[in-house]
Amino acid sequence: MFKDLDPILHSQLRLAVMSLLISVKEAEFTFIKEKTAATAGNLSVQIQKLKDAGYIDVVKQFKDNYPQTICKVTSQGIEAFEQYVKSLQDYIKK
Amino acid sequence: MEEKQISEKESLLIIQQMIQTAKQEQKDDGKGWIIWGWLLFSASVFTFLNLKFDWVSIFFFWNLFGALTVILLSYETIKYLFVGRKEKVRTYTKDLYDKLNSGFFISLMLVIFSMNLGVEPVKGFALLLGLYGFWILIYGAVLNFRPSIIGAYITWAFAFASLFVKDFQWTMIFHAVAVLCGYIIPGHIAYNEFNKINQGETKTSV
Repeated sequence: MFKDLDPILHSQLRLAVMSLLISVKEAEFTFIKEKTAATAGNLSVQIQKLKDAGYIDVVKQFKDNYPQTICKVTSQGIEAFEQYVKSLQDYIKK
Repeated sequence: MEEKQISEKESLLIIQQMIQTAKQEQKDDGKGWIIWGWLLFSASVFTFLNLKFDWVSIFFFWNLFGALTVILLSYETIKYLFVGRKEKVRTYTKDLYDKLNSGFFISLMLVIFSMNLGVEPVKGFALLLGLYGFWILIYGAVLNFRPSIIGAYITWAFAFASLFVKDFQWTMIFHAVAVLCGYIIPGHIAYNEFNKINQGETKTSV
């Protein structure tokens, strides 16, 4: 059915994360969690999958003694997202 | 959101929803325009009244405005240095605004210095209005915010008209009206729109 669609992106939460990050420069983990209404555990797993695929960069640091995770989409991620949207459009046109 | 198979329609809906969510982060609450707008407006109106009734030295209210600006900017700088940014998200728009703010204030200072070095205040204020118009137009264009785009052209119209004014009282009236159209009115519209969006978000999340 979705042979041409990127399996990394063709998942509800991962697609939501990518769609969010594609529109901003970078976002904190808490922001993504709030906007996607995902659980921290599930979100961490999906973010790790996107990172492993090279679609996002994840920077872990400390701010005011609290851990902070910042996510940013990579150029490879932008390319993959654009390709995914194109494939989606092609599929709908059929 | 759990990981599950999604249809093509659901995919499009997710993309649309998330991009819309991110777009809301780019919205401005208009507070900056309202604060600076009313400060500039008050300085113009009080200078006009001062010229009429001869209360204090001509530029007293502008000097007061300058002192308030220094206090506000110092407060913002200290807050930035010691507290840091609290934003959970950085957008390209916000980054662009930061750069533009710096450019705007440097250009503003150049015009103000030039007035202190002999440029006639009547002409100097026309140049300042020209600068306001430039900044307002960029803001309006980036956010696709029509009231600011219209405000920018009105500000430029007053800037042009100010070049032909000989009486400083008229310069102050033109300046006040331009600030009203370019800063205050769009600022209040932006503030109301921002609150409406936030109220809508709160209602949907409850």
